[in-house]
Parts: sequence; structure tokens; C-alpha cells
Amino acid sequence: MRHLLSLLAALAVAALALPTLAQPQPGPLLRFSGQLLDVRGGYVYFTTGDAFKVVDNVRLADYDTGKPTTLQPRAKLFARAVFDPATKQVVELDLTAHRVAPDTAYQAVKAYAVAKSTVQPAPEIVGIPLTGKEVPVSFVVTVPPTTPLGSDVYISTDASGWNPQAIKLDRIDGARYRAVRRFASGTKFVFRVTRGSWNSVERNESGLEPAPHPFFVRETDAQSASVTVYSWSDDRPNAPQAAPGAIPTPFNPNPFPQGGIAPAPRVTPPGGFPTARPNPFPNRPPGG
Amino acid sequence: MRVAALIALVCAFVASAMTCAAAAPPTSLDVTAKQVEYFSNRFIVTADGNVRVRLSDGTVVRGQTFAMDLKLNRYLIAGDVRLDGPAVHEVGAGFAGYPDLDRSYFLPAAGTPDRWTYFGTDWAHPQLGREQPGDAFFIPDLSAERPYIYANGVRIIPKTDALFDVARVRTAGVFLPVPRYVVNFSPNSHFYENAFAGARLDVGVPFNGSEHSLSALHVRNDAFNGTYLAFDQHFVWEHDYLVASVDPLTQEQRQYNLVGFKKLSPNLEARFFGQLSQAQAGIINRPDNAAGFFEIQLNAALRHSGLSYTQDNYYQYLLGIAPNDPDLFRHREHPTNGLLSWTGNETYLGRGSRLRYRLRSGIGFAHDVNGEGGYPNLQPGPPDSVYHFAGATLYAPVIPLPHQFSLSLSGDKQRTWFSVPHHVDLSDARASISRTDVRLHLNYYLAYETRSTGDYWGGQQLAAYPAAGDVIVTPFGTYTGQSAFRGFATSRSISTALVYTPTPYFALNLGLARFYDSPAPVPGAYGQPPVQFTGDLRVRLAKQVQLDLTRSYYFNFANERWTPQFGIQFSP
Repeated sequence: MRHLLSLLAALAVAALALPTLAQPQPGPLLRFSGQLLDVRGGYVYFTTGDAFKVVDNVRLADYDTGKPTTLQPRAKLFARAVFDPATKQVVELDLTAHRVAPDTAYQAVKAYAVAKSTVQPAPEIVGIPLTGKEVPVSFVVTVPPTTPLGSDVYISTDASGWNPQAIKLDRIDGARYRAVRRFASGTKFVFRVTRGSWNSVERNESGLEPAPHPFFVRETDAQSASVTVYSWSDDRPNAPQAAPGAIPTPFNPNPFPQGGIAPAPRVTPPGGFPTARPNPFPNRPPGG
Repeated sequence: MRVAALIALVCAFVASAMTCAAAAPPTSLDVTAKQVEYFSNRFIVTADGNVRVRLSDGTVVRGQTFAMDLKLNRYLIAGDVRLDGPAVHEVGAGFAGYPDLDRSYFLPAAGTPDRWTYFGTDWAHPQLGREQPGDAFFIPDLSAERPYIYANGVRIIPKTDALFDVARVRTAGVFLPVPRYVVNFSPNSHFYENAFAGARLDVGVPFNGSEHSLSALHVRNDAFNGTYLAFDQHFVWEHDYLVASVDPLTQEQRQYNLVGFKKLSPNLEARFFGQLSQAQAGIINRPDNAAGFFEIQLNAALRHSGLSYTQDNYYQYLLGIAPNDPDLFRHREHPTNGLLSWTGNETYLGRGSRLRYRLRSGIGFAHDVNGEGGYPNLQPGPPDSVYHFAGATLYAPVIPLPHQFSLSLSGDKQRTWFSVPHHVDLSDARASISRTDVRLHLNYYLAYETRSTGDYWGGQQLAAYPAAGDVIVTPFGTYTGQSAFRGFATSRSISTALVYTPTPYFALNLGLARFYDSPAPVPGAYGQPPVQFTGDLRVRLAKQVQLDLTRSYYFNFANERWTPQFGIQFSP
């Protein structure tokens, strides 16, 4: 009798256990965190461009507490998608508005991404591995030898809104100025060399205005941009300044302008020239 | 048969025209949303809530959020995306535009997800499954940034500007409302050419713009006019530009300026500057007085040199003068001057030599029937003056020496001959030795320079520079020996500077210069302080903010020690 009862009990336990054994064993759940683009048509789309199938009764939870949330999935929110490896579907979305750390499981779940078409290569997409790390860029500008020692020289870039005094350079010897700035790798900009205003900018060897210098920050430890300035736009030997009343001018070739290093000549005409009129000064234009 | 051929030809032409049109990327994006924001530090425009983006071909993309990186020239619309146009009606999760690649990337969500690529604006033929950039749908992280502009809508012209409607612009920490505000982010620097005179303060409010134009109102302040409004209008092409300005707009004495630049060929360019100065009670009133100044300059590149011609024209009385005005006899005066100059290219003195030289020469004239403003010592000057000059620069930019030292040498000499019989000699010689200590992040140099100016009148020397007035009295004292000046001056200087840059975020530049000038400087009259010290400290306070502090010390020359104030500049 005892044996019979034992056999019956064993059969009962086996009968209870059999359905469980028949079901597939749940594997470890996979998790992937990222920023949402949309949840639409039974799929969740991440900013990687990948779409994953979502189960009908997907659980929405708070990313931090794991409790149910009132947040609804939408663009810009961050989410942790919990995958069932057996079905390759998302069974839970943990939502949050704050940025979350990237999940290392992306490569594991990428195989779960759904796409109707097979991938076709696009030759126009040229991959350059760029991490955005900061790269020190050294600007070295060789100036004309006649540039005064105390002159300030600047770099102006399109990234600074063409501020003519965007990056101030330091004179390092009789011919060169230098400054070092950090830029993220992949940064692309154009620049010009000025003396602090757009009235005094670099000219090329022929005296023409050069095109802005393009620069691309590569994925490297350090970079250098070297430019030679042959003359400045306001360097015009013996030419008058582009403003009325400026001195010296050909009308007034005074080699010792006021404020210069020597006194102006006295106003005493040598013989042989007409005497001064009572009012020798022209009626200056307003504001001139 | 002919008709059929004609129809076929027309059809082929129309088809090719449509193909051409379809291949072009959108030339503008009109964005409306509940909230549009602009982040100036990152050149990024975002929009959220009921986003509607109308592309220049009429296609409309709707979604929940929008982001565009103006510098990278790419944009994204995400969340409940609807793509509608004459040839397309699609629902999707994301739409990314890459005008530079002439591609648009789309994630359709109507059925099974997929990746589609549109070529140009050919919306009828998506390329299914074509590879897309890995970060095409990335939304920029702006959590650490503060918006510079809030607006209701924006019209973006790629690579040029963004026009914000009903904008609130952050100014000194406060968001000021303006009906419209334009952010120009063009890589073309000609948008920033200036046609204004100098001012102590200038705040520009650009309010209109297009691919080739920019209009701006400016609030300016200067010592003469006080605070006033000014206006400028820019027209810009790839190589050419035209800038017109009215400055001031709200004061009686105003200037109308016009600046132009035209690259006529790769080796020839022309510049123009025109200025009309008026005393005018109101902007539409007849002016009481007017004068003009116009300058034209032509620059040409020759085989191994450059040629330049500059001409200035002055119009002192544009409105005539009353019959009883003592200046009546001068009302037709029209001073003018011109200069043709030639500059040779950099040439090595010999094979293997480090020395280089550049030659220059030129001829010029000046004409003023009344000799207006003539020689200070020859009032009035002659009506016509012709001059020519020749000069050369000999230099060795950087000669490496042992122990990280280097040597730079340069010498410059020029002589100018005038038709009024005298000539002026200018000379400048400079030698500097410098050293870079990479380990200590130090760089320093020592330079010696001598400059001289001589005005040679031959037998008329004493007449041109007569021995009169030996004493000069200024608020800073009485100075004698002035009569010794005969038209010759020299300036010798020893300068040294030290630059310490331990990191790219910190720079300290200390400079000291000692000048030995003859004649000696007279405080309050002429000359420069014999000893000058300058300190310049630059510290990067934040990613986009750098503080630049400069101050000079003049060792009590003209009772001046430290310069009156610190020079402080914040820059990105």
C-alpha cells in the first residue's frame, strides 16, 4: 500500500511538472538603452534607426524606480527596452526624460531589429572614424617683416561669427605669431587672419584677397595650421588712408604726423611759395 | 512627323528639366512649431510640438520634434512623422535630411519597418534598404546649453542664415522681443564686411536676410553722436559684395557709405568706397551741407608680382555756397590723388640662401587747385604734386639655432621723391632672437629695432624746418631744445616678451619695451612713452567664453602709469 501511494505521489508530481518541462525555459532577458524616435504600428524606433517589435501588452515602467509610469513613449524620451530572447520582442519599456548611459548590449540586440529590405551599400556615405575628442590645434602665422612688433594679430573663423578678434595670437619671434586652441575632432571651419578689424586683413603675395583657409580637425593627437601673410590690406606704401582728413596724404606729405615720434614742422613757408590765405582750412564735411 | 518630333523634343526637355529639379536639394526650410529654439553655442535649431517643416519644393514634413545642425547642414524630424507632397504620402518614425549629400533618409512606419533613401526631391522613387549614416537619426544633446533665441517659427536657408519670426533674443541675460531676427552662419566672411565708422558700442539687430543679402539695424554709441540708430544692407555673392549703410540714422549729421568688392577674374579685383557726409535735419529733408569722398582700388596679380592702383576723389562742397560766403571761390574744388604701385614677390637672394627680398616701387599724384591742406610748412601747397618711390625689404624669417633658439632678421628701406623738391627716406632694421621651451611651455624673444625718417630739402632744409620756438609748454611741463629738429628722426627700441601657455585654456603674455627716440618725446605733444610694459592674461572660463585681460604701464610718462582701465574682452 505504501509503495502504491508513493508511486501515485510520484506520478502526480511528474504530471504537474510535465507541462512546465514542455514549455521553453526563459533565457536571460536582454536590455538595450537608447533615445526614442517613436513607437508606432507595434514597433519601437530608436535614434539608431533600428525598429524592434513590441509585444501587444508591453509594460511601461519608470526607468529609475521600475514602477509603472504615466509617461507615454514619444520622440526625445530615453528608454530601456527589455527583450525576450525567445520571441525577440520588447516586453518592457522603462522610460525617462533624462539621458541614460549607452547600453553595451546593442550588438546583441541589433539582430532583433526588423527591416523589410536587405541592406544595400551607399557609396556616397564615406565613414571617417571620429570620436569627437578634443584635439589641440596650433595656429602659426608668419607675418610680413614690416609688421610692428607690438601689433596684435587674430584668427577669425566662421564658427565665431567672423568676429575679427576671435582668437588672439601671441608673437613668438620676429616673424611669427602662435595660439593653440582645442577643437573636437571632425570640426570643420574656415578662417582668416586679421589685425583686429576687417580693415586690416591678410593679403596674398600678389596683394589680392585670399580665400578663407579651410581646416578640418582630424582624429589625431595634435594638429597645426600654418599661414603666411605677405601683406595687410591697410599696408599701402605712400597711399593715403581711406578717409578724408587722414594724415599724411599726398596733399600733406608730412613724414612726421601728429602723435608720431617727432614734432610736426612749424608753419613757416620758405620763400618762393604763395603766402597762406586768411582761412586756409577747408570747410570740413560734417563728421569728416 | 515634324510635329511628333517636336512634341518628343519638348517632352524630353520637360522630362530633363523635371529631373534636374528633382535632383536639387531643398533651398530652404520653413519651420513652425509650438516652440522654436536656437542654441548659438552649437549652431543648432530645435522645434517641438506640432512641428511642420515645409521644404522649398512644397513637400511638407510633420512630426513631434525637429533639430537642425546649421554648420553640419543636416536636420531631423522625429515622432509621428507625416511626409506629404504631390508625389508622396507616407507615415514614419523619423526623417533626416542631408542636403550636402542630396539625400533624405526615412524610417517608414506604415507596415513592416524599413529604411528608405530619397535622392534629392525625387519623392516618388525611394531607394529601399539603402545604407544610411549611422547617426542620421541622432537627436543632439543640448541638456547643458541655454537657448539664445525663442521663436514661433524659423525660415532656414542652408549654409547661409536662419530667420526667426516673433523672436525673443537673449541680450545681457534678458530675452528681448523683436518681430524678426536673422542669424547668419554663412562661411562667407563678406557678410561681415563693415561700412560703419568706429564706435564705442555697436549692437546689431539683423532683421531680414536671404541667400545673398542681410539687412540690419544697429544701436551704436560714440563720443560725437551719443547713442543712435544706424542701418546697413549687405549684398553678398561667393566672391563679391556690396555694403550700404546710413550712419547715424537718427542724428542730423550723417554719413551714407557704400563699400564694394568685385573679383573680376582670379588675378584682378576691384574695390570701391564711397562716403557722402551730410548735415540733414531729417532723413527725407534737404541737406544743409554735403561733402563726398570716393575711392577706387584695382589690384592685379602679375607673373611674379602684384600691381595696384588707388584713386581718391574728394568733393568738399556738393551743394554750392551762398554768394556772400568767403569760401565761394573754392566751391568747385575737387581734390584728387592717385597711386600706381608695384610689389615684387618674395625672392630668395641666392640658391641655398635663407635671405629673401621683396622690391616695390610706385608713382603717384595729388591735385588740388587751391593747394588745400598742403604742406604744413608750405601753406598753401602747390596745386599739383607728383611723387614716386622705390623700396625693398630684405629679411630672413626664422633661422634655427642650437638649443631651441632661433634668429629673425629684417631690413626695409624706402625713398620717396616729390615734385616739390624734397625726398623722404624711411628705413627700418630689426633683429630678434627667440627661444621655445616646450617642457616649460614658455616662449620668449628679445628684439632690437631701429627706425629712421628723414625729410631732405637740400638747400631749403632750414627753411622747411626753421629754428623757431625752442621751448614747448604742455600741461606736463616745459621742454626745450625743440629748435634742434631739422626733419630727421630716429627711434631705437629693445623689446622683450614672454609667453606662458601651460594649457590651451590659459595664456599669459608679458611684454616690456624701451624706446630711445630722437627727438625726445614731449608728454602731451608728441612721441611715445620711453618705457612700456604690457600684460595680457587670457583664461577660458567656459567652453564658449574666454576672458582676455590686458593692461599697460607707462612709467609715469604724461602722468600716466597704468592705462586708465582694464581691457576686458569676452569671446567664443
